[in-house]
Amino acid sequence: MFQFYQKESFFDEMFVGEDESVFPHYQGLRERLGRLDDAEISEKQRRVDTSFLEQGVTFTVYGDDRGTERIFPFDLIPRIIPDTEWRTIEQGLTQRIIALNLFLHDIYHDERIIKEGIVPEEVVKSAAHYRPEMRGVDVPKDIYIHICGTDLIRDAEGRYLVLEDNGRCPSGVSYLLENREAMKRAFPRLYRDYGVRPVDHYPELLLKTLRHLSPRPGQAPVCVLLTPGVYNSAYFEHTFLARKMGIEIVEGRDLIVLDGFVYMRTTRGLVQVDVIYRRLDDDFLDPVVFRDDSMLGVPGIMDAYLKGNVALANAVGTGVADDKVTYAYVPEMIRFYLDQDPILENVPTYLAWRDEDRQYMLENFPKLVVKAANESGGYGMLMGPTSTAAEREDFAAKIRQTPRNFIAQPVVSLSRHPTICGDNRIEGRHVDLRPFILYGEDIEIIPGGLTRVALRKGSLVVNSSQGGGSKDTWVLYH
Amino acid sequence: MLSRVADSLYWLSRYLERAENLARMVDVCRYDALDAVLGDSGETWRPILYAMCSEEAYQVARRSRSEELDVGRFITFADENPDCIRHCIAHARENARMVRDQISEEMWLELNSIHLFLQSGEAEDLWRRQPEALYREVIKFRLLFEGLIDATIPHDEGWNFIKVGKYLERADKTSRILDTLTYGDEPERGRLASAMRSCSGFSAFRGEYRGEISLRNVVGFLLFSPSFPRSVRFCVREVDRVLHAISGMPSGAFSNEAERLTGSMLAQMNFSSVENVWSVGLHRYIDGLQAQLNQIGQKVFETYVLLPSEIRNVARPEVWQIAWQQSQQQQQ
Repeated sequence: MFQFYQKESFFDEMFVGEDESVFPHYQGLRERLGRLDDAEISEKQRRVDTSFLEQGVTFTVYGDDRGTERIFPFDLIPRIIPDTEWRTIEQGLTQRIIALNLFLHDIYHDERIIKEGIVPEEVVKSAAHYRPEMRGVDVPKDIYIHICGTDLIRDAEGRYLVLEDNGRCPSGVSYLLENREAMKRAFPRLYRDYGVRPVDHYPELLLKTLRHLSPRPGQAPVCVLLTPGVYNSAYFEHTFLARKMGIEIVEGRDLIVLDGFVYMRTTRGLVQVDVIYRRLDDDFLDPVVFRDDSMLGVPGIMDAYLKGNVALANAVGTGVADDKVTYAYVPEMIRFYLDQDPILENVPTYLAWRDEDRQYMLENFPKLVVKAANESGGYGMLMGPTSTAAEREDFAAKIRQTPRNFIAQPVVSLSRHPTICGDNRIEGRHVDLRPFILYGEDIEIIPGGLTRVALRKGSLVVNSSQGGGSKDTWVLYH
Repeated sequence: MLSRVADSLYWLSRYLERAENLARMVDVCRYDALDAVLGDSGETWRPILYAMCSEEAYQVARRSRSEELDVGRFITFADENPDCIRHCIAHARENARMVRDQISEEMWLELNSIHLFLQSGEAEDLWRRQPEALYREVIKFRLLFEGLIDATIPHDEGWNFIKVGKYLERADKTSRILDTLTYGDEPERGRLASAMRSCSGFSAFRGEYRGEISLRNVVGFLLFSPSFPRSVRFCVREVDRVLHAISGMPSGAFSNEAERLTGSMLAQMNFSSVENVWSVGLHRYIDGLQAQLNQIGQKVFETYVLLPSEIRNVARPEVWQIAWQQSQQQQQ
């Protein structure tokens, strides 16, 4: 199967060197795949795809009027992470989410990090998702980011680096869980023999995280998941999680605020809601406080929130922490708040609002990836090495106009992983890893994460909206 | 249960019942067209368009197309027909998608796969080669789904709303099938038999009326049979029963307008006979039934879905505006 595999100059997750030797934790996988012929692979792939489509494990493609639903392409070769490696990742992520939460509490209260000159005030206050409404507000248990999806990549030496933190509405965990189900069905014995740590308790952990926030301790809290609605790209995930947690999935129109309390409208009248896992942007949450044209929000919900009568996860205003400019300061935050060195490093980042950085960016486009500070999903990006002159000029103009909005990073040649491509040939494709971190009574990270893979040859963009797929991620017991 | 969820379950159920009834009607009609005098097959289809109130939509669709538009295709697939079978299933699935956490995995799988099938070219191919096979697929799916509703989800409030939707829709469709008999001349035996077959009630009818097929008997059977599960009376009785199961009121009493109207309609059906129908005329009588069924549907909505203060507030944003905002929410 692997006889034509080209490792090239990248860090490969499976192959050690130019010969065919693999890392020890990939040995069993290679033997198993080696026994498969083309027809068997095609058959397994077809079965997995059909099952995803029929179960509606799909996302909606934007800019397509027919609201076409597609399955998120799934690759049958799992990514495997040995225990020791995972433990480092786990410690690094734990350290990071603690620092990010301390940062959020700080900037909405004492602003120590600003006063001591670690992070410039301008960076914080000019972030698109900074919410002045949250100043001086105490959120339940002082936790802001309860659910975080942090994207990790590996560089040419195989070091794990943090690419970005998603601290508003991270998505993808449903694919992680469904991928696992699919793998268990496709390779039951291989899975059993490998000693893979399970992930299927995620919904229980999430529910526990939510219940921890209830403003009415002692009573069974009423938790709901607030979705933008069926036309949202992640709607499948919203229903998936609500179902697995056994809580109601509500839209804005199902909720109503009376005298500072939030209620849901049921066939038996109004029922008070304690905790809302909201998958709606801050902007749309409350037309009274934020965008007044929002049809998805709940008028008055911010009032109830500020009075402490309802908890929101994630808190309002967390977007300032996953701003791509703020990102550059996270290692400093870790040193400042925790007096520790970061366990997971950042990718080196140039900030266009610093004069010398901007100059460097403008002169070195072909070496850089330029990103808009507040976009996600792979939108608003310039891939320097493959960009056209026109694209570069366009970005240069935008950067000069609003430097605060842009950052740049050297092109990191993400690690590659053997992936089944056309005609069942196995080729190396670039991958990243998005673990999901839950911050409630404890900090819990389910072993693994969503491994996203850039299916197009040579591509470094793994987002589902840009031709990405995914793999199951196996964290081993040993 | 969330009001919106109750509403979605209700519509999920109504659309599926509608699709099934259409499949039955079209299939019978198509079969009858085989017996029609050459060149006259268009006439056979008339009553069904009339019963669905889609004569006009059909004419518009036909004029806008260059090739001949078959009525069967119009009722099964045509985009111009908002109530075609394919759309009914798509609407049902859209409602199911909104309440996926409330229905069983198997229900979703079956509904999603018939939806994907009807959207595919494969369904049209099958229809071209063997139309009856396609309708059988739809009917079989519906029967399977009925079984799943009863066997895979709790028989609680949501289940009751599913039943309200089903029986209201079924009562409406049976009354419409009867209404086809008021179209044109006094219906001859063939048309009476078709109406019966559309409700798959021929053998039950034979059992009850010893084979004498007359307009009077057919009307009596489809309106008033106490035990045939597609008669209007039977359906109204079920609606009455499930509405009381939802509210917890004892039968014979009422706690809201939906219950009052249903109870009153049921009493009227329980104590009426064909004589009463004849005295006002079949068509007018059926019109009256349909108006009452609509009223009940409206009152169910007002009682369980709307908050009282909203009943008069009809200004709602356009669907596309909401859809646009929903799609704009960044999922990172």
